[in-house]
Amino acid sequence: MTLFVEQLANGLTVGAVYALVALGYTMVYGVMKLINFAHGELFMLGAYLGFTVLVSTALGGALPAGAALLVIILLAMGGVALLGLTVERVAYRPLQRANRLTAVVSALGVSIFLQNSAMLLWGPRYRAYPGWAVPDVRWSVAGVHVGLMQVLILAVALVLMLGLYYVIQRTFLGAAIRATAIDHDTARLMGINVDRIIQLIFVIGPALGAAAGVLLGLYYRQIHFTMGWSYGLKAFTAAIMGGIGNIPGAMVGGLLLGTLEMLGAGYLSAAWKDAFVFAILILLLIVRPTGLLGERVAEKV
Amino acid sequence: MRLRIAASLAGLLVLTLLAVPVLAQEPLRIGLQAPITGPWAYEGEMARNSVEIVRDQINARGGVLGRPIEIVLGDDQGNPRQSALVAQRMVSEGVVAVVGTYGSSINEPASTIYERAGVVNIGYGSTAVQLTQHGWQYFFRTCFRDDRQGAFFAQLVNETLQAARVAILHDNTTFARGLAEAARASLQEAGQAEIVFYDAVTPGERDFSPILSRMRARSPEVVYYTGYYPEAALIARQMRDLGIDAVFVGGNAAINDEFVEIAGREVAAGSLMTQEPLPTDLPYPQSKAFLDEYVKRHGQPPSSPWPVYAADALNVLAAAIEATGSTDGKVLAGYIHDTLQIDGVTGPISFDAAGDREGAIYLAYEVASDGSLVPYER
Amino acid sequence: MARTAPRERLAQEETVGVRPPRPSTARARGLIGPALTLGAVVLGVAAPWLVSDYWVDVAVFWGIYALLGLSLNLIVGEVGLFNMGHTAFFAIGAYATVILNQAWGLSLWLLIPVAGFLAAAAGYGLSRPIIHLRGDYLLIATIGLNEILRVALLNNPRGLTGGPNGVILLDQFRLFGYGLDRPERFYYLVWGAVGLVVWGLLRLQRSRIGRAWNCVREDEVAAEAMGIDVRQAKLLAFVLGAGLAGAAGTLFAAKMVVVSPDSFTFMEAVILFAIVILGGMGSIPGVLVGSAAMMVLPELLRNFAQYRMLFFGAAMVVMMIFRPQGLWPSRRWKAQLAGEREP
Repeated sequence: MTLFVEQLANGLTVGAVYALVALGYTMVYGVMKLINFAHGELFMLGAYLGFTVLVSTALGGALPAGAALLVIILLAMGGVALLGLTVERVAYRPLQRANRLTAVVSALGVSIFLQNSAMLLWGPRYRAYPGWAVPDVRWSVAGVHVGLMQVLILAVALVLMLGLYYVIQRTFLGAAIRATAIDHDTARLMGINVDRIIQLIFVIGPALGAAAGVLLGLYYRQIHFTMGWSYGLKAFTAAIMGGIGNIPGAMVGGLLLGTLEMLGAGYLSAAWKDAFVFAILILLLIVRPTGLLGERVAEKV
Repeated sequence: MRLRIAASLAGLLVLTLLAVPVLAQEPLRIGLQAPITGPWAYEGEMARNSVEIVRDQINARGGVLGRPIEIVLGDDQGNPRQSALVAQRMVSEGVVAVVGTYGSSINEPASTIYERAGVVNIGYGSTAVQLTQHGWQYFFRTCFRDDRQGAFFAQLVNETLQAARVAILHDNTTFARGLAEAARASLQEAGQAEIVFYDAVTPGERDFSPILSRMRARSPEVVYYTGYYPEAALIARQMRDLGIDAVFVGGNAAINDEFVEIAGREVAAGSLMTQEPLPTDLPYPQSKAFLDEYVKRHGQPPSSPWPVYAADALNVLAAAIEATGSTDGKVLAGYIHDTLQIDGVTGPISFDAAGDREGAIYLAYEVASDGSLVPYER
Repeated sequence: MARTAPRERLAQEETVGVRPPRPSTARARGLIGPALTLGAVVLGVAAPWLVSDYWVDVAVFWGIYALLGLSLNLIVGEVGLFNMGHTAFFAIGAYATVILNQAWGLSLWLLIPVAGFLAAAAGYGLSRPIIHLRGDYLLIATIGLNEILRVALLNNPRGLTGGPNGVILLDQFRLFGYGLDRPERFYYLVWGAVGLVVWGLLRLQRSRIGRAWNCVREDEVAAEAMGIDVRQAKLLAFVLGAGLAGAAGTLFAAKMVVVSPDSFTFMEAVILFAIVILGGMGSIPGVLVGSAAMMVLPELLRNFAQYRMLFFGAAMVVMMIFRPQGLWPSRRWKAQLAGEREP
């Protein structure tokens, strides 16, 4: 039982990170029907930007730890959002009218480009996140070990996700995003600036990914330029699990994937973990071909 | 900082001036096959740095046979297909010999091509036992084989630590799996300590708590991790987080300065590692000179054991060419097999008939409370 | 984008029939094609004497990846099924080749159809339960299949796959007592195979099956209404594509000597996918050009050392922006685009 609860806590922590990254995939997909393969790299760059801010500024001394952390996350989010906008402008907008697989290959090109940029800018070594940002506090309740960082990740992810959910469901802007996701032409007729909405999506998604990147760096204290590739694939899997294009689906999918992964590694074999996760995914898709929460936007082929 | 740049520029100028008469000679082209891009790029970069230091040292002495050494870089991305292509390119470009490459499963397609073309190639990170069992004549390696380190670990557990319950973890890369299997075989053969847990993690993974929780249930006294430092550091830290107080022992790729940095000093202190004597502990002047030069140029020593072997691979090639006065692959291979004996950065070097390096003294190191590595004494 | 207007128009054009070009230009065009083909063939045959062994080997891998691209094009290009785990079938062929050669000493010539058959059978078994998935759901399911296989290969079940070290092929192709392991001999073997496969696929494209596939790609509902068994058509494409990839696996194993999981990563699957899209979906010459872009271009960029993949990534984006339909779109695309420009 102790083991189970512990794995659950670990799974939810990793799952929260997956969910934040998955939101970026799912929002871009919902509005543009594009699998943005470069999204994982934006997440990775978020982690690196956070790292740079963390080691190069005197934030630690000037501000209380909590505020410093917030500033670092916000800076990384802002930087990566700008980058997301640039990527959209350079690599996707010229392809708006083309076959959607064309944009997928363009996205892969961007992914390779960004990954190698990070390698050249920060060097190919693993970089260690400084440990001072978050105190290494751990609690042991009834034999279950939980860390402060885990709580922090879940809290930040939850706040961001609820905030996003509120914006999408309750505000005028959210309505515009949803309308654009359903039909560009009709949305345009309703007076919605579709290009603006797409740009907005490329601000929100990468910003969330960047936050996830910083949190991950703080949690494991270690980042590498190739991590966007593997975490991106996992997050994409999570988005599909929940039903791509569906925002609550990405959140559920992320948490579910993280938990499955940890339970699989805990009770079966760590070496077979990824095979276990993908096998579950395929079984799930056989039973529910459009993921857990289906998709609200009908796919037009 | 600026002073240092100025100093190195001045140094470079002096070197260039010294090298002018040498440069008049046609350079001796030696290949370096390494992962310059891709996930193992940090290994490739360090190998390149190391080989360039040796190249500059040799060229400053007047080169080999009066000819300066030129390094021909081949990026194999840690991908077998690219590795085969790089090897063919090296052969087509007519390089004299090749240093490389890093991973064992990446090395094999390349060595096949070098073997057919009769080009001496010296691996620097390819430790899989099988590589020297093909009867190849042109393949050598300056690093040691997995099985020898495995045997040393068994000895450490049984004689020094006198532990009864051992857990072994690897990361499914060729090197780590090979070392883990060798360690397991040696322990089973000795029949003293019991292996209570054996599993693999995924490289690039960051959360190992599930597997560690499972391992905790088997209450090991010693945990041997044979993979690389990024995962090793996380495993060591997460072990403590989960309340496992077994001795953490790393293989020779697991523990270095960055291990200490990522794991944190409190966690890292007391961890052991099995490894060949560190260059800093070797009584050879060239070891110290090499490391000093590396730190001077790049600010920190290499973060894994392999780059120094790349440096020695070039040392071996230069010595063989100098001694035989030949650039013919067959002559060089024969000389390296039978006669060659030099003091390299990593100690005395000679090779057996299969191309494996002779000797191999292993030591156990301990991470001291200040984060430095000191020889382990019980 | 969501709007697929050009495609819909293409589907209409398809049923109405492509507008015939004017007679005089038609004759001239009819000559240019064969002339270019002949030139390319002559150049191809002479190539090994003109360039170094290294470039011959580059061409060998280009050829092998062209075969793989052609096999994937059946699935992605002709039928429109998003398969991003194609390396799984390639791996099955390559591993089967080495393992069966070691166990029973089967000749490599015989192993080409055997590996092809095994991969095709795996393709049938694995795709059957997931073939009904749409677009991106199928994409991730195929990625999943490839990852499951790769994890299995790494974990060395029953000591069959040799774990991360892989397995070693001790045999080689032989013809009249000559070993085909020299680069130029292997080059002829591979490009001979490419020629044969291209010839076969061109015929298939024009057959009933080929037309049915394209019909499924453009509009599944319409295809169903026209009496095409959509599920069967999709499965057939998957099985043929997987089989061809498996057969290419034999060539790959013979070329590499060592077959290890490093050759079948997600990145390699992505490269295959990119070959088809980059060349132009459903276009056979497009696949040849696309595989050249993905295989030869990184070699041309070698002088940039650590910057090489940076330029490669940028080049992929640029190629897609300037040729959104692919480097060499299928002829029907062109006819369609030409038709669109006329008033």
